[in-house]
Amino acid sequence: MDLSEFEADNSVSCRLASAVPDVCRSEDCCLGIDEAGRGPVLGPMVYGICFCPVSKKDDLKDFKVADSKTLTEDERETLFLKLDEAKDFVGWALQILSPNTISTSMLRRAKYNLNALSHDAAIGLVQYALDSGVQLKEVFVDTVGPAEKYQEKLSQRFPGVEVTVRPKADSLFPIVSAASICAKVARDHAVKSWKFRENLGDVDTDYGSGYPNDPKTKSWLLKYLDPVFGYPQFVRFSWSTAQTLLESKSMTVHWDDDKEDGEKAASRQKCASVLSYFGRSKPQGTAREPHRYFSERKLQTLDML
Amino acid sequence: MSRSLWLMIARVKLLFFLLPERLLRFCLAFGFILLRMCSNASVITVQLGSLGQADKPQIHLLPCEIEHDGPAEVSRYFTPTVKDHKNEMSVSFRGRGLKGAEINCPQGYTGLVLKEDNKAASDQEDRTVRISSVFHRFTYWNLETKPNSDDGVVMAMTWPALAEAVSVC
Repeated sequence: MDLSEFEADNSVSCRLASAVPDVCRSEDCCLGIDEAGRGPVLGPMVYGICFCPVSKKDDLKDFKVADSKTLTEDERETLFLKLDEAKDFVGWALQILSPNTISTSMLRRAKYNLNALSHDAAIGLVQYALDSGVQLKEVFVDTVGPAEKYQEKLSQRFPGVEVTVRPKADSLFPIVSAASICAKVARDHAVKSWKFRENLGDVDTDYGSGYPNDPKTKSWLLKYLDPVFGYPQFVRFSWSTAQTLLESKSMTVHWDDDKEDGEKAASRQKCASVLSYFGRSKPQGTAREPHRYFSERKLQTLDML
Repeated sequence: MSRSLWLMIARVKLLFFLLPERLLRFCLAFGFILLRMCSNASVITVQLGSLGQADKPQIHLLPCEIEHDGPAEVSRYFTPTVKDHKNEMSVSFRGRGLKGAEINCPQGYTGLVLKEDNKAASDQEDRTVRISSVFHRFTYWNLETKPNSDDGVVMAMTWPALAEAVSVC
């Protein structure tokens, strides 16, 4: 699988897609959606779709695709190659959500949670298939959250398409298994060959599974923790594992939009006055307030260092 | 003097001065600047001899406060991840998206970062600071929104010109 387009800038989200088979533009098609790498604290999350004509469902079954989690890495690679070779009737597309996209979305001022992010990625991919002329009739989706609500959301968004959202859909519907294989292969490749944009020299790639409870992942997170910057962009800062480690092992950072009770914030701001840099205490009994022209511009008259 | 020497206080603990170059040139002839602050009796000497050794780093002003005074691995973690596409600068810090812009110091002014190597023991003692860095521009970062003319730091750059005009009247 060629990920060079994503690797050119792995701080953003990227779409990769196969060519759309001609037959998918003329015949009624089914489409499967699945994700890979939702849980790990490291690396991207990948959304995958796979589609083929409804009449070719049995051909797909003959590939012996199965839930990607029950397959070994080699088996997934082989199956992906088979799917990619069946380009006369199978198409696929992926949305790679970089860890930086995940962090900055989830930690945004107006929070954009992982479920919304996932749903939007899935919707974007289905829309991509429709825009490419795929005659969509059936969509099968694997889900982690409540299936009914998600099914309703997708059915409303895509009228005329029969949507089935089901937990464990990746082991029930071959087209979803196929999508899960595409997504998992991309995620594995992306993690394995991650190009750190930071100047970290030779990075220890023994990350473990990337799941927070994996001791290898945990020791990697400790090894690459920087007291000021935290982590390289490979890490999802929004994961509680990462945040807990940062809270205990790195310098505290305060943002304007932090939720903090007023008194605490006020006393902290007073303590952290830039004047404290030079270690002199502020004289008591301050003179009149400066004009707001100055406060708006964060300007202060200098009367001591 | 209080008009021409001013201090910008940002939420970050970056302390820097913008000093009129005319004053700087004048003082260079003597080798130091004496500051007599009205609040206490001590004299603060800025060693201008240190100007030659001062480095000229890229200065980044972040929209947050870091509880840290000291060195940071800027060139390992931060600078390589800064993106500058078509005048749109972006980066992330601690997982939060930032957008940035280059800001020039007002014309005729030089930015200085001062450092006090030996802290004075009492309020009455004279103090000596050296110039650790010199800069003429810096990168100003905002949380998620592009820096614009409503931002305090951007607006602050207009003060020297206004101060000049006011003093003429």
